[in-house]
Amino acid sequence: MSDVAFSKPVQDSVPKINDEVAVGEDLGFQRKWWKFETLMWWVIAFILVLNFAGFLGRGPMAHAMLSNDAMIVKYERVERTGTPSILEVQFQPATLGKGLVKLHVSQSVVNELGAQRIIPSPLDTAVGRGGLTYTFTTEEAPGSVQFALQPSKPGIFHFTLEVPGSAPLSARVVVMP
Amino acid sequence: MEASVRAILFYVFLVLVVRIVGRRPGKQITPFEFVLVFFMGGLALTAMVGDDASLTNAFIQILTVALAHFCIAMARTKLRRLARLLDGTPLILLENGQWRSETLSKMRIQDDDVMAQARDQGIATLDKIEIAILERNGQISIIEGSK
Repeated sequence: MSDVAFSKPVQDSVPKINDEVAVGEDLGFQRKWWKFETLMWWVIAFILVLNFAGFLGRGPMAHAMLSNDAMIVKYERVERTGTPSILEVQFQPATLGKGLVKLHVSQSVVNELGAQRIIPSPLDTAVGRGGLTYTFTTEEAPGSVQFALQPSKPGIFHFTLEVPGSAPLSARVVVMP
Repeated sequence: MEASVRAILFYVFLVLVVRIVGRRPGKQITPFEFVLVFFMGGLALTAMVGDDASLTNAFIQILTVALAHFCIAMARTKLRRLARLLDGTPLILLENGQWRSETLSKMRIQDDDVMAQARDQGIATLDKIEIAILERNGQISIIEGSK
């Protein structure tokens, strides 16, 4: 007597051709898959076009600019997690004429957008009003200040920049995973 | 947790992409596919590891991928539809002296690929082939006719 624990009779459920070869071809399914494959190639191409355009970050469409009478802010509206980028603040001539320039940045620039360093280094930093206020001398900041950003997590974040005495500039940044 | 989620995401993503890229005939991987495999693996690795290059992370991600693979392999044996979705079905390329041109074109296979396999089996001419089948693993099976 056999000591095989489980056994099952052989049943050939695979369709045969000429009663000779059991192939198991399913052209109906395969045709659906080919349609899906074609669609997926278009989806892949579309994603790549979006990427080249910058909708997924690091491209022409990702660059954005804000301005008011005190400054011009150049930033990336789409960032990528862990990828460095630059947020640049260019002060208008009227702002620079005062000798010292104060710039208030919301806490999100440091926390969510991951400001790593500020170029040039500020003369003074004060904490308050939901963010940080940096003071630059016009000699050290000849027209512009750069924030080296490196977001550490994905999400949609808002930031605000303000030169005291003028209207604040706010924007939304999408950080891709 | 994040490491495991990343590993599963990339595993599923790569399974889908490789499935879309399609099967290619041949017993051995060609240099063409060799590049694809290494590139995909390398690129996935960069994102999977992220800033956590620790041994623990590597350990957890390997275990996660192993478990995900085991679960999918188990599910594949139970669910015929899933098996069909993951592996496709065998496809007839040549039958009774007639090429299945739609299948050849959609699977990006040339008659030369079939002929190469036929030669490998010692078949000198196409008219001696009764049926040629592209198997799920990309191999071409040739069954010789009686004439």
